[in-house]
Amino acid sequence: MHFHMIIVAVFWFGFVDSRKIRGISSSYKRFFRERKSFLCIDGSKIIPFEQVNDDYCDCEDGSDEPGTSACPQGRFYCTNLGFRPHYIPSSRVNDGICDCCDASDEYNSHAHCQNACWNLGQRERAYVEGQMRTLDEGLQLKQQLIEEGVLLWREKQAQLRELQQVAEDLQTKLEERRSRKQEADRLKEQTPRPPEAGDGRLFRGQNSTVTGTFKLLDSNKDGSITVDEVQAKVALVHDEERVLSEDEAVIKDTHGAPGVGEDPPLKVADREWEATNLKKVEEAYDTVNMEISDLREKLAIDYGPDWEFLFLNSQCYKLKVYEYTYTLCPFNQVTQQSTAGTEVSLGRWGMWEGPPKNQYGRMVYENGEPCWQGGSRSTTVTLTCGTETALRSVKEPSKCQYIMDFQTPVACQPVLKQRGIHSEL
Amino acid sequence: MGGVKRSIIKMATFTGSMAPVLVLWLAMSLSGTWAVDKGNFKTCDQSAFCKRQRALKPGDSPYRALLETMELTNTRLTLQLINDNNKVRLLLELYRLQGNMTRVKINELKPLKPRFEVPDVLITEPSTEPLSLLSQDENGVVLSLGTESQRVIISARPFRLDIMEGPEVLMSLNSRGLLAFEHLRMRKDTQAEPEGEKKEEADPANQAEKEEEEKVDGMWEETFKSHSDSKPNGPSAISLDFSLPGVEHVYGIPEHADTLRLKTTDNGDPYRLYNLDVFQYELYNPMALYGAVPVMLAHKAQRTTGIFWLNAAETWVDISSNTAGKTVFGKMLDYVQGSSETPQTDVRWISESGIIDVFIMLGPTPKDVFSQYASLTGTQSFPPLAAVGYHQCRWNYNDQEDVASVDAGFDEHDIPYDYIWLDIEHTDGKRYFTWDSHKFASPKEMLQALEDKKRKMVAIVDPHIKVDSNYKIHNEIRNKGFYIKNKDGGDYEGWCWPGSAGYPDFTRPDMRAWWASMFAYDQYEGTAENLYTWNDMNEPSVFNGPEVTMHKDAVHGAWEHRDVHNLYGLYVQMATAEGQIQRSGGVERPFVLTRAFFAGSQRYGAVWTGDNAAEWDHLKVSIPMCLSLGLVGISFCGADVGGFFKSPSTELLVRWYQTGAYQPFFRAHAHLDTPRREPWLFGPENTALIRDVVRQRYTLLPYWYQQFYHAYRTGEPIMRPLWVEYPQDPATFALDDEFLIGKDLLVHPVTEEGARGVTAYLPGKDQVWFDVHTFQKHNGAQSLYIPVTMSSIPVFQRGGSIIPRKMRVRRSSSCMTHDPYTLYVALNLQRTAEGELYIDDGHTFNYEKKEFIHRRLSFAKNMLSSVNLATDAEFSTGSWIERIVILGASKPSKVTLKTADGQESQLEFDFDASMSVLTLRKPGVNAGLDWNVMLQ
Repeated sequence: MHFHMIIVAVFWFGFVDSRKIRGISSSYKRFFRERKSFLCIDGSKIIPFEQVNDDYCDCEDGSDEPGTSACPQGRFYCTNLGFRPHYIPSSRVNDGICDCCDASDEYNSHAHCQNACWNLGQRERAYVEGQMRTLDEGLQLKQQLIEEGVLLWREKQAQLRELQQVAEDLQTKLEERRSRKQEADRLKEQTPRPPEAGDGRLFRGQNSTVTGTFKLLDSNKDGSITVDEVQAKVALVHDEERVLSEDEAVIKDTHGAPGVGEDPPLKVADREWEATNLKKVEEAYDTVNMEISDLREKLAIDYGPDWEFLFLNSQCYKLKVYEYTYTLCPFNQVTQQSTAGTEVSLGRWGMWEGPPKNQYGRMVYENGEPCWQGGSRSTTVTLTCGTETALRSVKEPSKCQYIMDFQTPVACQPVLKQRGIHSEL
Repeated sequence: MGGVKRSIIKMATFTGSMAPVLVLWLAMSLSGTWAVDKGNFKTCDQSAFCKRQRALKPGDSPYRALLETMELTNTRLTLQLINDNNKVRLLLELYRLQGNMTRVKINELKPLKPRFEVPDVLITEPSTEPLSLLSQDENGVVLSLGTESQRVIISARPFRLDIMEGPEVLMSLNSRGLLAFEHLRMRKDTQAEPEGEKKEEADPANQAEKEEEEKVDGMWEETFKSHSDSKPNGPSAISLDFSLPGVEHVYGIPEHADTLRLKTTDNGDPYRLYNLDVFQYELYNPMALYGAVPVMLAHKAQRTTGIFWLNAAETWVDISSNTAGKTVFGKMLDYVQGSSETPQTDVRWISESGIIDVFIMLGPTPKDVFSQYASLTGTQSFPPLAAVGYHQCRWNYNDQEDVASVDAGFDEHDIPYDYIWLDIEHTDGKRYFTWDSHKFASPKEMLQALEDKKRKMVAIVDPHIKVDSNYKIHNEIRNKGFYIKNKDGGDYEGWCWPGSAGYPDFTRPDMRAWWASMFAYDQYEGTAENLYTWNDMNEPSVFNGPEVTMHKDAVHGAWEHRDVHNLYGLYVQMATAEGQIQRSGGVERPFVLTRAFFAGSQRYGAVWTGDNAAEWDHLKVSIPMCLSLGLVGISFCGADVGGFFKSPSTELLVRWYQTGAYQPFFRAHAHLDTPRREPWLFGPENTALIRDVVRQRYTLLPYWYQQFYHAYRTGEPIMRPLWVEYPQDPATFALDDEFLIGKDLLVHPVTEEGARGVTAYLPGKDQVWFDVHTFQKHNGAQSLYIPVTMSSIPVFQRGGSIIPRKMRVRRSSSCMTHDPYTLYVALNLQRTAEGELYIDDGHTFNYEKKEFIHRRLSFAKNMLSSVNLATDAEFSTGSWIERIVILGASKPSKVTLKTADGQESQLEFDFDASMSVLTLRKPGVNAGLDWNVMLQ
């Protein structure tokens, strides 16, 4: 009730004022106190007061015609009671198009404008409320994600340290194995070549490549190796050594050569065994080192001041637009897949490229698949605040230049809260 | 829009099996330079008839006039010509046409079958004037061409025509003996009719003919690259030479990417007229481009004449000059020695088929020639006012959201525009008359949103129709038998944007009527009044055809494509414009842009210079290209602002906007593969520069619109070379880096990268010119160095003129309808000035019903007055006179306004003594009324 009375009051005063000087805000009223003459606001000229708003531009700065379209640089103030007031260029006054929601700009045109401010205001208030809720919720979620991020960061750091430890251990082992192998090689010169023996079970059926080893070590298949995984496998190597030794013993029993200290077949098996083992350890070492550099690289990425973007690292988000499915894997890559199934890279992680005020507002992915006219595909991802983490839109405004709208709680900024409705209310 | 490369990309994406080959082809073409692949297009040597004809050298003509066959009626003279080599007879018809023109027609006396005569180009059968016989003897005939001591002398042996005025020869035909007429004949190698053979043996003419055929290949079949032309009618070429005594400057015969003044062709190919989709065309050469207007203007200080060669087949034009080879020193030597022969330009036209039908326009002034040509082919259609505003185009605005956001961008940056354009991607799979159902799901809503801001849209409709039995347009055309046929009688199919496509036979009136009916709102779904049309690819472009166009042996009813080729594009635009007129019940003016054109295309809309490139030279050449088109009636011309292929530097883009803002058709366009380039994407400074020049365009819309009205009434070009207004000043004859808009604005755009200044020639010995930005006065007949910055666009208003402007630039031209006028009165040395003011509703045909205001504004004896120029016309406007700016004025003590009712009032004024500019404050009088202002 009280609320409505204020509206009525403000409306009344607004009406009294605008009857005289159309198109000015209350803060400008002091320039337009009715006197005999009017001084252009830039001080350049004095004109008779009748020439204010007389539909002829006298002042260079356009200040004498706030309510008409006469001045090329002028602006018209929409009071817009019930909504946001704002300025429009003078050229939109009486152009037949309703610009001010209070219809005040079309006071002398054929346009039939309705006062829509109250509706707009309500809609805007509802929208802003919604935004506020989203923001609140988003900020809470963000806090959780920050906490998780910190934990994750520590975990990763710990993982790195442990991996470094494992690498050191493996290096020691590697040196040990190398010297053993050298010993075995020395012995080989004294013995004939044996039949197939001592096939390392650990790597059976696997390519002896780094990838193979990686896959083997990555027992939970999450695309990264944890210290536990490495230790588990490396331990297996130890175990196997022992098991094999028993096999050797069996061989020894079968073929028999009692009383002899150094049995040639055994030596052959030993030598093979040493070679295989060395290889295994070398591979494990390489793999661990690769994983370390990989992890270091990942940790070198800027995940925001609170590592709040870290959780996105191993995630991917999809969106289908017409005949294409787009996939954004933050800090990794962007791809486009057609219904026919062909997949095209739209860029690999490049950098943060937000404006100075919102440095983490935009990501750039570069060097995707080359384009017909030269250059390569690239994607700019704009991050906006939302309660869910999802890819919201994909566009290609210019050929090979994609823009994505990516929503996530971690993009929510507390500053947003300061904005609100600035209305005459 | 598009060249060949586009097609290849698209083809590669949706034709699996062809893709690898095409990708390879594309890779090869990409690795090369940006220039055109000349190998795709014929030289004269590769075009059998051009080679045959060009092999004929000047000498005695084998043709003889049979004076005894002469028949002279009141309106025409007929006379038989005989070729003494083969005894084939021709029939010459000669007409004296109203307005100082002579028409010469030559056809076979008894052709084996009719030869094609171009229909639908002349607006009416031209009115004739009486011819009278002055004298006759066995050597020839002298006829009088009316009253002005003009005569035609027909010499009998060898045949030649000389058109004289007093003692002066204006033009000679066949003076070099290059008249040639390949008569239609039976094919010898496959024709085995016994009777025919007997006849042939009896006829000595056929003996010569046989020899002729033995000598030359390509008469009955011709192959270019992998394409063969079956030529069922055999050789049919025609050729004729024209001599122009005293002439050193010839112009016209667009479209070529070349200088305004045509060059001699002795050391290269002739200028070619054959409508072609040339991918990445090269500049400064005589290669054919998208359109053809077979009209040449010849100019010397005393007289301007014109030749209109009405033939729609492939045509080549040779130009030679007896002074062209001479250096300045050589010419001086001639002068000193007094031995100089009269300069002369010789021109020779060669066409592949049809007849000789030539209109000789005898001037004598440039404006007489424009009016003569306009009386034959009509004038520029009067466009809706909005079409004279700024157009924002791109291949492609992707979807409705994209359109909305570009539209909003213009408002945000306060840049006006009138039309946003949709290229081919807006359709459902390149099926024209449809919309992509995802990207443009609710086109009516989109159009309404534009309408709410008083803006409009153009959507592309090309003439190639996707062969698809689920496509209504295709089914109807096929069922009605409207497609062009191939040589074997089936529907002609070629490859274009949609893949396999048919080409409707637009030469058929019933086909055109059907096509027009497809623009009805209930046929073309999702359309509304503010949707207009763009016809591209109408040369026609056929990606897999010879020279990227249609096979010449394709069939249009009784005629071959060979006969009608250069007309096809005109017909497409004609039918489309007719569709737009019909959908509004004949009320609203159409707006249709075309790429291909012919003589007469000015009647149907606008033309642009096709797929140019973002290069400085392309910016420069846009001036002579549009000037050349204007000279032959097509005033509504523009080039893609920014350049279609490639991406312009920011400087080039800004300079292009500055140039385009002062050319008749002002549209920015960009290739699909280029980065976005809406005006606000290059930083605030450049946005401001572009905003400023687009706003300059909008303030000048009243003047532009008046120029369009004038062009519609008179056929005079809007954008015109300086020599048109200063025909006696040889310094203007070759200028093509500056131009006039109407007669009162001179524009010298900055077209050099990094320019610090330009040198503009200001013509007119007794003339003064005012810089429109600073109001500084300059004398005429001087080359003026003007220092420039990035914001400079050197534009000058002629002293003696009055130009109306609207200074309240709004979102679109329609928003400015009721706005007041500011009159810029630029005084000449006599302290007088004249101008006009034209006002109508801006969009309907009601101006034809005399619903308009046309006033003469004149300043003399210190009085400016507005008087009615069209007392029988009636229209009312809300617009008033806001301000009068008088340049070159002196300070008055009193200014009195007198209105029609006799009321007098004093006007306030402001006088700037430094520039002598007097500004009268707010006369406030309605722009449609009589009034005057007295300076005392």
